[in-house]
Amino acid sequence: MPALLEVADLVTAYGKIEALKGVTLEVAEGGITCLLGPNGAGKTTLMYSIAGILKPRRGSIRLRGEELGGCAPHEAVSRGIALVPENRLVFPSMSVIDNLEAGAYRRQGGRAGRGEIDADLQRMFGRFPRLKERSAQLAGTLSGGEQQMLAVARALMSRPKLLLMDEPSLGLAPLVVEEIFRIVSELHRDGTTVFLVEQNAHMALKVAQHFYLMEQGRVSFSGDPGSLAEDEVIRRAYLGSAK
Amino acid sequence: MDDYAVGVLTNIGLFGFLAISAYLLLLAGEMSFGQQAFFGVGAYSGGMLTAMGGWPLPLAVVAAMLLGALAALMVALPTLRLRGLYFAMATLAAAEMARIGFELLHWQVELEGEQTGPDGTQGFRGIRWVLENGIEPGAYLAIIWLVLAMVVGVVIALERTRLGATLRGVGEDPELAAALGVDVTRFKLGVAAAAGALAALGGVLYAHHNTYVEPRNFDIMLGVHSLAYALIGGLGTVFGPLLGVLVDIGLLEGSRVFQGYRMIVFGGLVALLLVFRPRGLLDERTVIWLRRRLSSLTPWR
Amino acid sequence: MLADLVQNTLDGLAAGSAYALLAVGFTLIFGVLRRVNLCYGPAIMLGCYAATFVHLSFGAGLLVLALVCVLASVLAGGYVERLCFAPHRKGSGIAAMVASFALWMQLEEVAILALPKHLYPFPALYDGKPIDLAGFTIRVEALVMLGAASVVCAALWWVLYRTRFGIAARAVIDSPLAAELSGISVPRVSMGVFALASAIGGLAGFLVSASFEQVTPMLGMWSTFKGLLAMMLGGLGSLPGAVAGALVLGLVEAHSQWFLGPQLRDLLAFLMLFMLLAIGPRWMTTR
Repeated sequence: MPALLEVADLVTAYGKIEALKGVTLEVAEGGITCLLGPNGAGKTTLMYSIAGILKPRRGSIRLRGEELGGCAPHEAVSRGIALVPENRLVFPSMSVIDNLEAGAYRRQGGRAGRGEIDADLQRMFGRFPRLKERSAQLAGTLSGGEQQMLAVARALMSRPKLLLMDEPSLGLAPLVVEEIFRIVSELHRDGTTVFLVEQNAHMALKVAQHFYLMEQGRVSFSGDPGSLAEDEVIRRAYLGSAK
Repeated sequence: MDDYAVGVLTNIGLFGFLAISAYLLLLAGEMSFGQQAFFGVGAYSGGMLTAMGGWPLPLAVVAAMLLGALAALMVALPTLRLRGLYFAMATLAAAEMARIGFELLHWQVELEGEQTGPDGTQGFRGIRWVLENGIEPGAYLAIIWLVLAMVVGVVIALERTRLGATLRGVGEDPELAAALGVDVTRFKLGVAAAAGALAALGGVLYAHHNTYVEPRNFDIMLGVHSLAYALIGGLGTVFGPLLGVLVDIGLLEGSRVFQGYRMIVFGGLVALLLVFRPRGLLDERTVIWLRRRLSSLTPWR
Repeated sequence: MLADLVQNTLDGLAAGSAYALLAVGFTLIFGVLRRVNLCYGPAIMLGCYAATFVHLSFGAGLLVLALVCVLASVLAGGYVERLCFAPHRKGSGIAAMVASFALWMQLEEVAILALPKHLYPFPALYDGKPIDLAGFTIRVEALVMLGAASVVCAALWWVLYRTRFGIAARAVIDSPLAAELSGISVPRVSMGVFALASAIGGLAGFLVSASFEQVTPMLGMWSTFKGLLAMMLGGLGSLPGAVAGALVLGLVEAHSQWFLGPQLRDLLAFLMLFMLLAIGPRWMTTR
């Protein structure tokens, strides 16, 4: 499958500290690619760099061949990247429906555009019935799992080519986690490309076609879910490889 | 030295106290819009003690400083636990209350056939202790700068001790300081009191230079200026606020060219400067750089 | 006695309406930028001075003057935003605030240089006699102020809750990071909200000047204080709170002025703020 996203030798630093020391990876179009690794490996830094929140020092990020590196976050959304951030980051004092509308901000198109946005809203409510029930409620009053779904739905409202998800299962009860991954599989079936960062290696490997291991700012392994014994993967994902 | 130059230099010295007062609080991480209130407390109390109570100036200065510290504590005690912006607003409210207090203060005694004392919005005339004791403007200038030099000396000495490190530590990262055992609130109260005393010191000297003060002298503009002096000059060293005062009063007042446009130039300069130097001209990095250069020049360092 | 009470209440509400517009402007800027703009009043004053200049030079009508006032306030506000707030977006709040003082000094001097007198006449909002209703005198200016403020607040509500820009503004106010991730340009939206706040302030300045039929150099400081006081009384960052705080301020001022005189009136207002902060709710405290 052709690559939708190509990251080459990416270096991102906070002042003098290099969090990404030259990351190279690819996200295949239409598939689910997963990024695993211990805390502090730089996974969120990578997500933020792709989404435009952090400006990389060196290296390139290409979406379908077009260079993205260093553009502003709202620009990245225009180009078709949407990030579901760690900690969801919903708009707490806005209603569920306003949260979704905010996600569609970048879409224009006057009357016809408005019609499409409304259609998408209905589609989101269809896919996430609990959000429909709470459509007028303030997002800050939703439960963790509901907020996670809202964050995903909001990202989808921009009709992204690439959906980035940073630890969607963090802090959620096991049943809710299963629901989240069920939704990820659904998205895959509908053709959305997903790049997923996860701590929950077990669940992530069940849905992904390809995965990368990241440690200390670099990619340390690349393969498909069968290629490394699962307990080895989990060990390296949580603890890093002993070097 | 001509009278005009003496006047300008005197003002630089007097407002230097106010600038250092704001600087100390900024180091501790607090922005105060109210130091001008303590300047006023010093001016009024010192003036009343010498003009109405016949006290000698040195004694009045000490008393004024104590009152300034007390007033500062009264403001700081209920408000220090407030977050930065709210604390700043509280100091603004307190300072305006003080200014209105001066407007309402009517207390005059008859001395040698004249009514002497604060008269509300009409101000407080007749603070003539310096004149009556034959101290020429030039001599008074020297006295002011001597006192200022002593204050600067004390601050420099303290900055090198643990106290100085604690001050900057509390300002930069209060949680860390607390974790290291510093009682942050108590410490800041101490800084507030010292800053209040310092502002009052400037105030009493100011009153005796002008022989006349009125409530309008101690308005929000003065507070804004003192904060600006500290921030422009730089927070890296106690010479920073003095530099700020020098820039405003010295350059702009001293060069007649800017007369009518002083605020336009100063205001614009400040805003532009802050874009490139948010911690002022003599900010921490510059001071460290300067120290290195200086120590390489002097072999006995 | 009752007549005085009612009269004062009406006057208080009228003043409160002006304060409400100022407080709303402050709150909008605080909402998107998380900073207090100390140059808000002076920018409004420049707007009023521009209108005064037009009035003196061309004798233009009230509507034109209102437009000039609003436009000039927006321009002055834009200058402040570019110089004081845009450069410090990621950095120090202190630097932004001090820069806004610096421009406050600068803009006040510009105004005083342009129109040096201590007082300028401004055309009246209403030329006729006050309405006599059941023994109470109702100043028409007061009604106009109340009406105008209500209309502006309603219009603002409509913009915030019924337009695309409004959603973006509320998003930025709620969470700038989430807003960026949703494709909203925080710098662009902040500039737009700033302009909106300046326009509202300009309108407030126009109403106040026309209501008192004069413009003085104190207008800048006055607007800043009243707006800040009202905003803080109502709870920093809350738009309904700003309006409520403003009305309370207006009422307290009107009644205390009647019983205690102008100085104690101001003292009381600052005391109210200080006490509120001193015993303040937990969200105001450290850290």
